[in-house]
Amino acid sequence: MSDALHHLQKNALKPKYTGARVTRKEDARLLTGASRYLDDIEIPGMYEIAFVRSQRSAARICAIHLDAAQATPGVKRILTAKECPCFFGSAEDVANGVVQPALARDVVRYVGEPIVAIIAETRYAAEDAVERVQIDYEPLQPVLAMRESLLDQPRRVHEKTPNRMFHSEYQTSGFEDAFQAAPHHLVEVFQTHRQTGVPLETRGLAATIDPGSGRLTIYATHQSPHGLRGDMAVALGIEENELRVIVPEVGGAFGIKAHAYPEYLVVAYAALKYKLPVKWISDRTECLLTDVHARDDIHEVEVAFEGNGRILAIRDHLRADAGAYSAFPFCGAIGETVLASRVLTGPYTIPHLATTIDCTYSNKTPLGAYRGVWGPIASFVQEGIVDRVARALHLDPVEVRRVNMIPDELFPYTNAAGQAYDRGSYRASLEKALEMLNYDELRAQQKTLRDHGKYIGIGISAFVEPTAMAQSEAGSVPYESATIRIEPNGSVTAAFGLGPSGQGHETTMAQLIADELGVDLKDIVVLHGDTDSAPFGGGTGGSRSGPIGGGAALKAGRAMKEKLQTLASHLLEAAKEDVQLEDGKAFVAGVPTRNFSIRELAQVAYTDVLRLPEDFPVGLEVVARYQPKRPVTFSNGTHIAVVEVDAQTGMIEVLDYVVVNDCGRLINPLIVEGQIQGGVAQGLGSAYLEELRYDDQGQVTTTTLADYLLPVATEVPRMRIAHLETPSSGEGGFKGMGEGSLIASPAAFANAVSDALEPFAFMVSALPVTPDQILAAIDRSRDSMA
Amino acid sequence: MKPAPFSYIRVATVEEAANALSEYTDAKLLAGGQSLIPLMNYRLSKPTVLIDLCGIEAFASVSLKDDVFTIRAGITHQSLHEHPLVRAYAPVLAECAGEVGHWAIRNRGTLGGSLAHADPASELPAAMVALDARFVLTSVRGERTVTARDFYLGLFTTDLAEDEILTRIHFFASSANRIHFAEIARRPGDFALSGAFVRVEESATEITWFGVSDMPYHLTLDALPVEEKARQALFTSLASTLEPLDQTVYRRKLAAVVAERAYLKGRRVQA
Ligand SMILES: Cc1cc2nc3c(=O)[nH]c(=O)nc-3n(C[C@H](O)[C@H](O)[C@H](O)COP(=O)(O)OP(=O)(O)OC[C@H]3O[C@@H](n4cnc5c(N)ncnc54)[C@H](O)[C@@H]3O)c2cc1C
Repeated sequence: MSDALHHLQKNALKPKYTGARVTRKEDARLLTGASRYLDDIEIPGMYEIAFVRSQRSAARICAIHLDAAQATPGVKRILTAKECPCFFGSAEDVANGVVQPALARDVVRYVGEPIVAIIAETRYAAEDAVERVQIDYEPLQPVLAMRESLLDQPRRVHEKTPNRMFHSEYQTSGFEDAFQAAPHHLVEVFQTHRQTGVPLETRGLAATIDPGSGRLTIYATHQSPHGLRGDMAVALGIEENELRVIVPEVGGAFGIKAHAYPEYLVVAYAALKYKLPVKWISDRTECLLTDVHARDDIHEVEVAFEGNGRILAIRDHLRADAGAYSAFPFCGAIGETVLASRVLTGPYTIPHLATTIDCTYSNKTPLGAYRGVWGPIASFVQEGIVDRVARALHLDPVEVRRVNMIPDELFPYTNAAGQAYDRGSYRASLEKALEMLNYDELRAQQKTLRDHGKYIGIGISAFVEPTAMAQSEAGSVPYESATIRIEPNGSVTAAFGLGPSGQGHETTMAQLIADELGVDLKDIVVLHGDTDSAPFGGGTGGSRSGPIGGGAALKAGRAMKEKLQTLASHLLEAAKEDVQLEDGKAFVAGVPTRNFSIRELAQVAYTDVLRLPEDFPVGLEVVARYQPKRPVTFSNGTHIAVVEVDAQTGMIEVLDYVVVNDCGRLINPLIVEGQIQGGVAQGLGSAYLEELRYDDQGQVTTTTLADYLLPVATEVPRMRIAHLETPSSGEGGFKGMGEGSLIASPAAFANAVSDALEPFAFMVSALPVTPDQILAAIDRSRDSMA
Repeated sequence: MKPAPFSYIRVATVEEAANALSEYTDAKLLAGGQSLIPLMNYRLSKPTVLIDLCGIEAFASVSLKDDVFTIRAGITHQSLHEHPLVRAYAPVLAECAGEVGHWAIRNRGTLGGSLAHADPASELPAAMVALDARFVLTSVRGERTVTARDFYLGLFTTDLAEDEILTRIHFFASSANRIHFAEIARRPGDFALSGAFVRVEESATEITWFGVSDMPYHLTLDALPVEEKARQALFTSLASTLEPLDQTVYRRKLAAVVAERAYLKGRRVQA
C-alpha cells in the first residue's frame, strides 16, 4: 500500500481495510514461485499413476492384455475395475448404469475414460507400461448428436436408461395468448460449443496413509475440501474422521475442480488398499479430454415483441449434452439449462416465459461446472435476443435495452421464472457504461468508418449474476464457517472452510476481521484447505465465498470483538459499550490512554486467568456460521466491447472494453478488478477461440493447446472498470462477483461482432465465432447482393 | 506426456555429430527441441538416441562476404531476428524470424531445426525458398549442397538423408532485395494460417506461399497488374490452385489476401 493511501486510511473513519485497495497477502509467494502446489508435495517412496484411457467413444471391452505392462521395469501394481470396484454416487444410479465407475468395466462410453491404472515408480515408467497395455474392443455406434440422442438414436448410451436424462417444462400463465397477440415475432437457434476451464495447474490427487495415526491423508487440488472428504469417505467406506483432506495452493480451478473425478478414487483406493503413497497429476491432454466439459447447449428460441422494442414473451427449448455420465456431484447439463431457464429474461421486464428443457446422454466427456455455468449461455441468448429485436425494428440496441430494463422502483423484482432479484443498479450501470464509452460519438464514428471499409462493432451486455446461492456447484451447504483464535501473544489466526484458487481470500477475509478487531492486517493469518484445522464449510464456487464466507468472517469477528470488549471492560472497570478496539488496543472511548493491548488481553485470557471475569471462558476462540436469509443475491452490471472485424480475413481485434460492475459493498476493489479481468479474458476465449471439437467417431480433435486456443496476453484487451455499490441485505452488504465477468463478456464480444457485420446482415448465433465463419458469412452476403 | 526412454549424447563438433548419427540407428538430432521434444512427449517420435547439437562451437555464426550470406544452422530464431547483418542486408528474414512463436520459443528454436522439420506453416523454410538459398548437408560421407527449392518434398518431408546434418545456409544478400512478407495467424505467435513472400521486380514477380499447402509453394510470374482489382483477381486465381490441408476455401482466400498485403508492403517500402 502506498504511504499516502495508508496515511489517508489511518486518518479516515473506520473501516480501515474493508473497501480499500489492499494488495494481496498471497502475491509475494505466488509471484516469486514459492507457492507449494499439489505436485510439490513430496512423500518419501511415492509412486505415480498413469491411466490407460479409452481410445474409443463407444465400445465393449472384450479383453485387457496386461502381461507386457506387468513386465515393464518400475511397475508396482496394475488396477482394473476388478481390483478397484469403486464409484461415486448413488446405488440407484449404479443400478441404472449411469454412474461412472472409477475404472471402466465392460463398456467404455467416451474417449479418455479411464480403464486401467498403472502404479509405477515414476510417471515415465507408468507411461511406458501404458503403451504396452492392449485392449480388444468391440466397437459400438457412438451417440453424438443431441437431437438424435433425444430419440434414443442411434442407440442408448446406457442400456437400461433412456438417453433423455432430464426433462422439465415451465410456462407463465397466459403465455400462449400473450405470445400470439404480439405484433412481431422472431426465431433463432443459439448454440454454444464445448469448452473447459483449463486451469494452469491441472487437476490431480495424492494419497498416503499417515503412519502415525493410520488415517488416510489426501492431497487434492480442489474447491471444496470438506465436500471432497465427505464424498471420498462414502465412496471408500471409511469414516470422515479417518480421512484428512489437504488442499495446497491451487493454481486455478474455475469450477472444474469442484468435481470429484474417477481418477481420484483410484488414487485414494490404491493408497488405502496397498498402503502405498501414490499420486496422479493430469497432463494437458488428459485435462482437455477428461476434465469436465461445459457449455454444450442449444437454445431454440421464439420471441414475441412490440413495435417499440418491448419484449413480451420468450419461448425457449433448451438442450444440453450431459456427456456419457452425470458428472459428480454436479451434472453440468442440468445445471446449465435449469439455471439458465431461470435467468433467461436477464435484467429485463419480460413478462412471459415458456421453457422446455431436455438433457441427454452422449458418448462424450461428462459435462460439469465451468465458471459462470449457465450464466454465459443465458446472457448470450438474452442479449442476442435484444439485439435481434433491435435489428428487426431498426432501433438502436441501447433503446431496446432502455425500453425493457427493469425500472428501479420495481425492486425487489420477481422475474418471469419466479427468481427474486434484490435491488441493483440495472439502469445506472447501463447508462454509466455508455457514458464511459462516449456511445453516441462512437456510433457516429462507426458510420464514417464503414464508408471506408472499416467495420467497427459495439457489443452491449447487461447482465444479472445470481450469487451466493444456497445450492451451487460447491454443493448444498447454504452457510460458511469461520473460526478466530487469538493466540497467547495476541496474534490472530482465522480458519475457513473455503477453497480458494487465486481469489485472495487470505487477504479479503483478513481485511474484514482486521476491521472488526481493530488490528493490523499483518497480524492476521488466514488458514484454509486442511480439514483437520478448517471448520466445516461448502468451499468455493458459485460466487459464494465473498458474501457467505465474508459474512462468516464478520460474524466471527464481531463475536471475538465482543469477547475482547467484555474482558477489557472488566479490566478497565468501564462499561462494555464504552470499550473501543483500534490499533491493536482496547481503550475507553475518549480516553485512549486507558487501554489494554490485545496482546495483554490475550495474556490474561490464557495465562493470567485469575484476572478473568467470572463466567469468562479461558482462552480466546470463537466459531461462527453465517447463512444468508436470502437463498440468492443478484449482482449486476454492463459490459461493452468494441471490436474491429477485418472483412478480408475475418479476424477480430478488440479495440476497447468497458465494465460497470455492481457486486454490492466492495471488500477490495483491486481483487474485484482482477476477477473481472480474468473473467473477460475467459469470455473472449468463449466467444472467439475455445472449442473442444469432436469428429464423427467421437474423437476429440483438440487435445493440445495448439488446437484448443486459449486467449493469451496478446488477445486480452485493456479494460476500463467502474464500480457501483448497491449493498445486499446480507451481512456486510456483499454480493458475489466471481462469475459475472464471464457471464457478461461472451455476449458482449458476440454482439460486437454482430454489430460490426450489420452491413452483411450477419448475427452471431453460435460460439465461438471464428474468422472462417465470419468470412463465409461476408461472402454469402456479398453473393446475395450481387 | 513423458517421452519413451532414450539415451543422450552431447557433441562438440559437426564431425562428432555426423559420426554419432551414422553409428546409431534410430538416432535423432536435437537442436532447440521446440518441435522434437513435444513430439517425443506425445510419443509420436521415439528415438533411442538423441544427439544434442547445442554444444557445437560457433554453430550459430552469421557472415556476409561478397554478397553471400553464410548462416550456420544452430542460430536461434531470436538471434536471427536481432542480428545486425541480417537486419541490414536481409531485413525480410529478420522480420519473419520475429514472427516464429513467442520469445521463449525463439530463444531456443534454431534455423536448422525449423528448416529440417519442414512444418508447412513455418516461416523460415518459405523464406529460404523465396531467397533461393542453398543448404549444405554434412554426413560421414562428405558434404553436398541442395537448393531450398529442391530440399522440400512434401508435408514434413525433405531431401535430408538419415545420416545428414543441415550445417550451413547460403544465399545472396542481393536476392533479399525487394522481397516482402505478410502472414495471418489466429493469435500472435501461432503458426500462420497463411503467409506469403512476394518479390516484385520490374518485369517479374515471385510468390512463395506457406501455411496453405503441404510445403512452401513457389511460383514465378510476369509483372503484376498495377490496378488493384486486376491484381487481386490474379492472386485469387493463383491461390485457387493451392491445395490446403484443411479449411480449403478459407485458406485460399487468406492466401490471396497475404499476397496482396506483402505486395503492398513492398510498394510502400519501395516508394
Ligand atoms: C508454442 C510453439 C509455437 C511455435 N510457433 C512457430 C511458428 O509460428 N512458426 C514456426 O516456424 N515455428 C514455430 N514453432 C516451432 C519452432 O520454430 C521450432 O523451433 C522449429 O520448428 C524447430 O527448431 P528446433 O531448433 O527447436 O528443432 P528441434 O525441435 O530440436 O528439431 C526439429 C527436427 O529437426 C531435426 N534437426 C534439428 N536440427 C537439425 C540439423 N541441424 N540438421 C538436420 N536436422 C535437424 C531434429 O532431428 C528434429 O527432427 C513453434 C513451436 C512452439 C513450441
